[in-house]
Amino acid sequence: MNNEEVKSKLKAFFMSDLGVDGDVLNYDTPLFGEEIGLDSVDSLEIISFVDSNFGVSMTGAGKEPFQSIDTIADFIAKHQA
Amino acid sequence: MTSNDSRCVVTGLGVICAVGNNVEETWKNALNSVSGIHKTTSVDTDKCYADLAAEVHCETLDAMDFPEEKDRASKLCIKAANEALQDAGLGHFADDQRVSVIIGSCVGGVISVEHYHQHGKNANDIPKMPIAAIASQVAETCGAGGIVTNVANACAAGTISIALACDLIRAGRADVVIAGGADSFAAVPYSGFLSLHALDENGCSPFNHCNGITLGEGAGIVVVESYEHAQKRGAKTYCEVLGSGVTSDAHHITAPREDALCLTEAMTRAVKNSGIQKSDIGYVNAHGTGTGKNDNAEITAFTKFFGEENPTVSVSSTKVMTGHCLGAAGAIEAVFSIKALTTDTVLPTLHYTAEDSEALRAKVGQMDFVQNVPHAKALKCVMSNNVAFGGTNASIIFSKEAGNVSCQTAKNEKIAVTGLGIVSPLGNSKAAYIASVEQDSKPESPSIHSTIALDDYKELGIKMAFYRKLDNLGQLQTVSGMRALQDANFKVTDENAKDIGIIVGTSEGGLGATYDFEELITNLGNAQGSAFKFPHTVYNAAGGYLSICSGIKGYGVTITTGPVSGLDSIGYAMNVIHDGQEKAMMATGTDENLPIITEFAEKLNVAANQVVTPYSDSEGFVVGDGSVSILMETEDAAKARDAKIYCYALGYGNGRKNVKFGKIEGSGEALDCAILQALQDAGVSVEDIDAVCGFADGFKKIDQIEKDSLIRVFGDKVSSVPVFEVKERVGEGRAASATLAAAEAALLLSGELKSEKAYFVSKDGSVSAKSVDAAGLNKILVISFAAGGSYSAVVFGK
Repeated sequence: MNNEEVKSKLKAFFMSDLGVDGDVLNYDTPLFGEEIGLDSVDSLEIISFVDSNFGVSMTGAGKEPFQSIDTIADFIAKHQA
Repeated sequence: MTSNDSRCVVTGLGVICAVGNNVEETWKNALNSVSGIHKTTSVDTDKCYADLAAEVHCETLDAMDFPEEKDRASKLCIKAANEALQDAGLGHFADDQRVSVIIGSCVGGVISVEHYHQHGKNANDIPKMPIAAIASQVAETCGAGGIVTNVANACAAGTISIALACDLIRAGRADVVIAGGADSFAAVPYSGFLSLHALDENGCSPFNHCNGITLGEGAGIVVVESYEHAQKRGAKTYCEVLGSGVTSDAHHITAPREDALCLTEAMTRAVKNSGIQKSDIGYVNAHGTGTGKNDNAEITAFTKFFGEENPTVSVSSTKVMTGHCLGAAGAIEAVFSIKALTTDTVLPTLHYTAEDSEALRAKVGQMDFVQNVPHAKALKCVMSNNVAFGGTNASIIFSKEAGNVSCQTAKNEKIAVTGLGIVSPLGNSKAAYIASVEQDSKPESPSIHSTIALDDYKELGIKMAFYRKLDNLGQLQTVSGMRALQDANFKVTDENAKDIGIIVGTSEGGLGATYDFEELITNLGNAQGSAFKFPHTVYNAAGGYLSICSGIKGYGVTITTGPVSGLDSIGYAMNVIHDGQEKAMMATGTDENLPIITEFAEKLNVAANQVVTPYSDSEGFVVGDGSVSILMETEDAAKARDAKIYCYALGYGNGRKNVKFGKIEGSGEALDCAILQALQDAGVSVEDIDAVCGFADGFKKIDQIEKDSLIRVFGDKVSSVPVFEVKERVGEGRAASATLAAAEAALLLSGELKSEKAYFVSKDGSVSAKSVDAAGLNKILVISFAAGGSYSAVVFGK
């Protein structure tokens, strides 16, 4: 799966599982900002999704990789075996 | 001192939990610092990071009538209730209207949900699923014929049940209340808390390691009795129940506020309503779940609240013994608190090393966080606190002395209806509803549901960052509640946020979401639950979301008793205002029609296979849903802000004749009682009632009860009393329809609905229909029902 496909899959997950409106969700949109408003419960879902779908553990990764779809995809790319 | 007619005393205790199957055994083990936490034997722990639980082991749990009709939660509760009643020297009540049952629960019959899903979708499992079954089955067992309801505020439900019991006794509505809570350990809560990473793999360690909770199960029952009733029958009394405080965080659906602002407010209210000093409290049984967020918030609350006035108060969490028993927690902890008070013994939090103690001291200073072993302490009053998902905080005081309880201080206040929010399958606004009445709209199919649109959020200024989190029930409740505030032009501000509260009434609450969660974990395993979805399984999530969205920080309770909950919310809200707790209350009724809800109705043979109308002698009803919110305020408050007044809430009444939960036949006389009590409460007679907003939905078993009761109550006048039936438009929307019937009364009395088709019941039982002009209507009776034989009535007037 290339980087674009990862991002597309992540976006689809945010829309279907976390109720985010796709129209305002770009790959660089801050996920924990006012507009999208993700919180700690959502980050648990992200961790679970990334683990199940990409085999990458984000547990204990700190806040930085969770900033946007771009940063999550980068984290996945760096940590995928 | 509290006047004798406002005193509530505890006359019986019952408990079942992981450290004992009765009070004696449980207390003995608590004194011996026994923990009931062990490796779970009842749920699948494959790939799960935590496998501990505090489970009940009781071989006699089925020793009751018809155990096959009851979920484990009901059985736990009935066992504890039987012990408490025996302890109180009380027996079977033969439908005594002065005896009530109020039970708190978080997950209710979740084991029956699991059983239904995994074992062939057997209809027999369905009546065991809703939380409402628990109080109903306790009432059926002991013949309680008064108010029978369940509090569904998740982990604070047990405490609120006891608080509500006292409120009702002090309002003169009951002499004896069997109050408490019950929940069982099951895969859904286990998987849910796993998904939130909120379970401690080593067992909970409150105020210490704070890595998470350990789930438990059980039931606690406190027989609360009016002092005068207990005196009259020469009952032994354990202690007094003084005041309580219930508040809403308006912050987050699962996490408590870090600043503990609203928990502190609940404690402040409890002490103020008790008429005691903070220094009178010798021991606090804390919520103490073992999560960092909870425990730190509680320590903040204790530090702020007790401060220099009571710097050495004793505090502990008994959850290391019992596990976190969710809706039963507050009730079991009430039993611990009462035993502590009456034996002058403070219980410990277990498993502290010397190093742990040192670390705790650095955090809590002089406060006596009791560790590892109990110690003796002369106690005058004890406080028990619980907090819950949805942002609920509850605090209650038990005392050896009568205190100076504040209640019914605003009894003479007139209560004005100032705002309506209507979400129904016909649309999501009052205007849409009025238009549908004018067009005499009918359901388009035998299963209809409400749909919230993006435009609803836009109109209400609700941002995507908020509404994306809502499940269907939360959407319905949030939109109807915000519409009611908008309609009333009521602005929630930092100044008034604590002066307004919410009571949500719901029949099935989060049952649909619970089923979805069960389906998810059956497919993926308990290790794969959803942290996003799990909060929606608690029935009070919808009310919690409304509190967060609106900023309402006052009283916040979710009750569940079947359809009647949508009227009970109005009655209890009136009582909260009369108690002087709040100046304004939002009373709601909310139920959803997900596909699984229609499936349940079809399996139970109560769903019509075509569109039916009230009084059509059909074999089922149209399954509907919705959410209706009614804002009520003291007349003074409404006038002070120049609010439009639709009408006044004049009176409220209940009746109950026990039949099996899931049934209604044979209980109709209790509707007469509810109506007559509401009329008496309103200070009016049958002659004064100009119309009825009823609950007929086309299903002949239900409609016949309404018809027969109206004939008995109204006598010769019955054929001239118009009966308006909202369900001919919205179907059987359970609690939503009950509140809608009240909203319709408000619309008719205010003239916003100018005329409407009404039914007329003749003494011979025949029914006719014609349009009625609303102008001549001054007082309207609103009625509703619930399976198990509970009925309520409300009187609205100009």
